[in-house]
Amino acid sequence: MNRLFAKKSFIIHIASFLLLPAIITCPLFAQGKSAPAASEAGNLLYIDKCGHCHGIEGAGDGDAAENLLPRPRDFTSGLYKIRSTESGNLPTDQDLFEVISNGMPGSSMPAWKGLLSEDERWSLVAQIKTYFDGFEEASRRVIDLSGKIPYSEESVAKGKTFYAELGCVECHGVLGRGDGTSAPDLTDESGFRSWPANMEHSWNFRGGSATEEIFKRFIGGIAGSPMPAFVSSFRLGLTDAESARIIALEDQDEMTEEEEAEYTQLEEKAYEYEDIMLRIEEGEEITHEEQNKLDEAMKPIFEKSWHLANYVKSLGREGRPPAAVGDKVLRSQYFVGDLPGLNDAAWSEIKEASYFPLVGQVVIEPRQFNPSIDSVTAKSYYNDNEAAFLFEWDDRTKTLPQADDETGETVEDAIAIQFPVKVPKSPSDPKPYFIWGGRRPVYLWHWKVSEPNKITEMNAKGIDKATVQASQSQMQVEGVYEDGRYRLWVKRALKTDDRNDLKFEPETFIPIAFSAWDGANGDVKTKRAISTWYSFVLDPVPSNKRFVYPPVVALISAGLLFGLRKSVRNREKLNQ
Amino acid sequence: MPKLSLFTKCVILFAAVWLFLEFFIGGVWSVPLPASVIGMYLGLILVAILVHVSVEDDRFREFLRPIKETLADDKRRTRCTVLFVLVPLVMLVFTFSKVSTKAEAPASVRIAHPAPPDELTYGDKVIGPIQEVENPFRHLEKDDKDAFRAHAENGRRVYYQNCFYCHGDDLDGEGHFAHGLNPLPANFQDPGIIPNFQESFFFWRISKGGPGLPPSATPWDSAMPVWEDYLTEEEIWDVIIFLSEYTGYKPRTFGEAAH
Repeated sequence: MNRLFAKKSFIIHIASFLLLPAIITCPLFAQGKSAPAASEAGNLLYIDKCGHCHGIEGAGDGDAAENLLPRPRDFTSGLYKIRSTESGNLPTDQDLFEVISNGMPGSSMPAWKGLLSEDERWSLVAQIKTYFDGFEEASRRVIDLSGKIPYSEESVAKGKTFYAELGCVECHGVLGRGDGTSAPDLTDESGFRSWPANMEHSWNFRGGSATEEIFKRFIGGIAGSPMPAFVSSFRLGLTDAESARIIALEDQDEMTEEEEAEYTQLEEKAYEYEDIMLRIEEGEEITHEEQNKLDEAMKPIFEKSWHLANYVKSLGREGRPPAAVGDKVLRSQYFVGDLPGLNDAAWSEIKEASYFPLVGQVVIEPRQFNPSIDSVTAKSYYNDNEAAFLFEWDDRTKTLPQADDETGETVEDAIAIQFPVKVPKSPSDPKPYFIWGGRRPVYLWHWKVSEPNKITEMNAKGIDKATVQASQSQMQVEGVYEDGRYRLWVKRALKTDDRNDLKFEPETFIPIAFSAWDGANGDVKTKRAISTWYSFVLDPVPSNKRFVYPPVVALISAGLLFGLRKSVRNREKLNQ
Repeated sequence: MPKLSLFTKCVILFAAVWLFLEFFIGGVWSVPLPASVIGMYLGLILVAILVHVSVEDDRFREFLRPIKETLADDKRRTRCTVLFVLVPLVMLVFTFSKVSTKAEAPASVRIAHPAPPDELTYGDKVIGPIQEVENPFRHLEKDDKDAFRAHAENGRRVYYQNCFYCHGDDLDGEGHFAHGLNPLPANFQDPGIIPNFQESFFFWRISKGGPGLPPSATPWDSAMPVWEDYLTEEEIWDVIIFLSEYTGYKPRTFGEAAH
């Protein structure tokens, strides 16, 4: 077989890929409600509510678009991420309605349910469809969800093996935190950066975190993003290994003779299925037998996708954790003996780490409108002399000092933990300004990835007015990066000699805040993710008083009762 | 049905008041009352009861009778035993629950809408007394509708390029950064916001941001930027026009009393 033929067959493959989804399910046609005809009212509503991001002509170029990532959808492209339809299909009207109603978590698209009536939202669906001609003729094939495999440990385990086999790791990383090797280089259809999803932060899944939704993203892909439709990783009639091999061979520019022979052989094996698909594409009738054969060949792909969906579901937690306020504040627990080190099992005894959401620093220029680090969690122990902290945050890339592509500035991953120098005595007592202080100074622990075992103590009176302390306390520090997560362990004496340091005293609520820099996201200096002030406290040393006071009080009350009884009796006797 | 003793009646009344405050108002109406308020009402009721029973000697004796009987009358032995077990037990549980709860972080106390300074400024430039300065483009609403609309549209651009991250697409304070902020961004759809303040007040809050607030408004917690560093005077007045045009709420005018 010569090279030309191989090329031709490549074209056939491409064509058949577009067609493949049609055969995956016996065509199920769009279901759910359909949009009404486009109206002037819908157009005006669109301009009022959507135009500022999506542009008044629907091209995704509204006033706000420039500073947003992901960028607002360009409706003229006809590419839609969240669909219930197969790869290469447009979304159903119902899909568009759902996205408008529920918004896209983790992006700037809000949920319009509750803000707009159902009719209004449907009029927007109609309006959006006018920006792309393809909506008129295309019939849409909906992904068949009937073969759902219920969630079970076994299914999750299977999904986990497919996760590794199918190359999900490349972008989403070994543990699914979006930290794959190709993560920093991914772009969407317009060339804007596209971060792979962090499976643990499933509250950010754009289409929601229901297992069915995850499954739909596998089968249908996320159009316009680097997330492929799953079926394109398979070749019908071939085993998984053979599929992978044939795709790899096609990607090569040149083939050796041996490789060509191998290619031809695989090609012939898959030919039967390709032939059926080609005939469907050309509108020919296929026999019932052939249809069954195809369905049979597709079954394992659907099954794998369900297992994989269950696995991904198992990685995420339900909803964003509540922020560290009220009874969730960071409580350092008293520890008897030496404080646990970075990898000590004692840390897992604190079940729930305190959660500190981070947002972009958009107050002082240069600003960060699209932070890539969305939270820091913390746990803490203390004993009579020291306090130990374990800070953790997800970052898809480990960025050692390097020049930023855009600004040329040296960027690197870093974090700063912020306390006031003087702890407010009462709720109305002033705190320092939450972004690195102002008139009132803050005390900072600054850590960067290039010096993972060191914390620099600083004081700041403003975001650009930080000074390194002349005398650095003796602190033990260990920072590691593993599978998309930084883990930073810090130990410091409760009291230091430096009066610009903060002293940690039990039962005093101490304000705490964070700044985090992701070098790969261009974070440097003021451009960073920040948190507002939260609280941290050394819990009281557990004492026996809770076992002593209650019985004492009970005894006293019993004693009083006896006394009362006695005096009443005595009086009665006297009266008699 | 045996006649209830005066003492039982008083206990029932006291319990009923407590249940009403704690569970009806707090639960059914879902307006939980602070413990101090409930304590105050219960204290009043207790005083009222004691006054009622002690004004007449007979009544007081009648009131005390069941107590005396329980403690001294041998026929009421069981009742006495129950009392002697129950009271210490309740005290035990109550003290234990008090001793074992951990202290909560102090709540932040702040004035949401503090009084503005006397003078309205933009940077160092003095615009005028805050109680007199009008939006210089507001008159166009009557005089030149097209020009007014252009200012509102410019305000829309300013809003969606700068404000919606926190204050939200629908101006409802639910922008995609709002979850990470405390205090929460202002909700302009709240009928208590726009109609209660003059436009000069909004100009002050926007131009000086969080750092420009007086200490009573906890300026150290507010994430509102100092917008005079980013926006022109005209842009700030325009965005104020947009806020009221989009929500349909009119800012207060001078001479009009606060609602």
